Amino acid sequence: MLLSLDKTDTRPLHEQVAGALRRAIAEGECAPGDRLPSARDLSEALDVNVNTVLRALRGLRDEGLLEFRRGRGVTVAEGARPHSELQIRVRELLAEAARLGYSRTDLIDMIRGMP
Amino acid sequence: MRDTTAARRTTAAVWTAGVTAVLAAMPLLARDRLPDRLATHWGLDGDTPNGSMPLWAASLVPALIWLVTAAAVTVPLMRAGPPARPWTTVTLLPMGVVLTGAQAAVIRANLDRADWHEARQPTTWVVAILAAALLAGVAAWLLVARRRGTYDATTPDGGTPALDIPKGRRLVWFSRTANPWLQLIAAAIGLVAVGALVALAGGVAAPGTLWALFAGCAAGSLACAVFSSVQAHVSERGLEVSFGPLGWPGRRWAPGDIDTARMEVRRPAEVGGWGYRLSGLGTTVMLRAGECLVIRPRGRRSDFAISIDDAERGAALLNTLRTDRTRG
Repeated sequence: MLLSLDKTDTRPLHEQVAGALRRAIAEGECAPGDRLPSARDLSEALDVNVNTVLRALRGLRDEGLLEFRRGRGVTVAEGARPHSELQIRVRELLAEAARLGYSRTDLIDMIRGMP
Repeated sequence: MRDTTAARRTTAAVWTAGVTAVLAAMPLLARDRLPDRLATHWGLDGDTPNGSMPLWAASLVPALIWLVTAAAVTVPLMRAGPPARPWTTVTLLPMGVVLTGAQAAVIRANLDRADWHEARQPTTWVVAILAAALLAGVAAWLLVARRRGTYDATTPDGGTPALDIPKGRRLVWFSRTANPWLQLIAAAIGLVAVGALVALAGGVAAPGTLWALFAGCAAGSLACAVFSSVQAHVSERGLEVSFGPLGWPGRRWAPGDIDTARMEVRRPAEVGGWGYRLSGLGTTVMLRAGECLVIRPRGRRSDFAISIDDAERGAALLNTLRTDRTRG
């Protein structure tokens, strides 16, 4: 599995780690059922704190992309790939809206107003 | 490359056939001057022999030993391709010398004797054979070392894989491989160890045997468990490899400590089995046949390899990180 991080990214670290994992899932770097490297391995290789990694992993679990299994570690959830792509697009939309001066509520209103 | 491989194979075949013929023919050619049974073994203390064989066995047994050894050494390595082949030379050359010398010594000791009991121990021969075997071993080793040297020199340095890292990005490669069979064996042996411990506590059988059983099984289970899975990651800090479910023990190389990295397909037969293996190919941590990440640590003349999935990209990233670092 190849993870790619942007050195110039100014977002919080846990979001960057989650973003890298999300992209890896969307690009098929890790297939559903695959085990992720342990949080300790991730933190060592990415050079971030273990708690930051765990925070990112928990966030991805809440999005339904990862499953935490006792004794089997963290695995990629079934059907995570399309989910992951959608999550990435939603985030891109949010970022684009923010750049153009729209707030989240504006965006939600725009979606609600869609026919 | 192909020609030299073929030449080596021919040499090995000629050497094997030649030694077999000499071993089998020697007693038969001298049979008119030999007793019915030949003295073939002498004790350490006395001069009188304590073992004998009929003439036909004295002709066949050494030849068979030789053929079996030659087959065992050659067949797996024949499949392995050129890099592993040198070990054949190191084994077969001294072995052939020892067997031929021993056969000659046995014939010499039995020559013109009426009965095998009269044959005297050929001490001088034994010393001479050992010396010759040592010489043959050293010669084979030097031959192999020189051949390996030329082999290394012809490996193009530009052929190492590399990965493009987009500007301003940081790439990290992760991979892991597990062998469920080894995990199963580790669990099974571990269960036996636990059983022995329980029996020991219950006082079922003699403690001596049980302790031995427990210690043996516990060690075996641990060894199987440690080499049943392997994790690796490549980051800007280099390559880190850890074994077993606990990620211990582990090894780490900084990018500057590595000369080259590459992917190679290896099979357990080429490196001598599963687990932590030392062979003509260097050190290999073998879990399953297939892709291996092979690195040449700086200042070493042998490689370190781990069988791991997606090894090609790992090696490529490692090479890129290494060259990036030396460039600036």
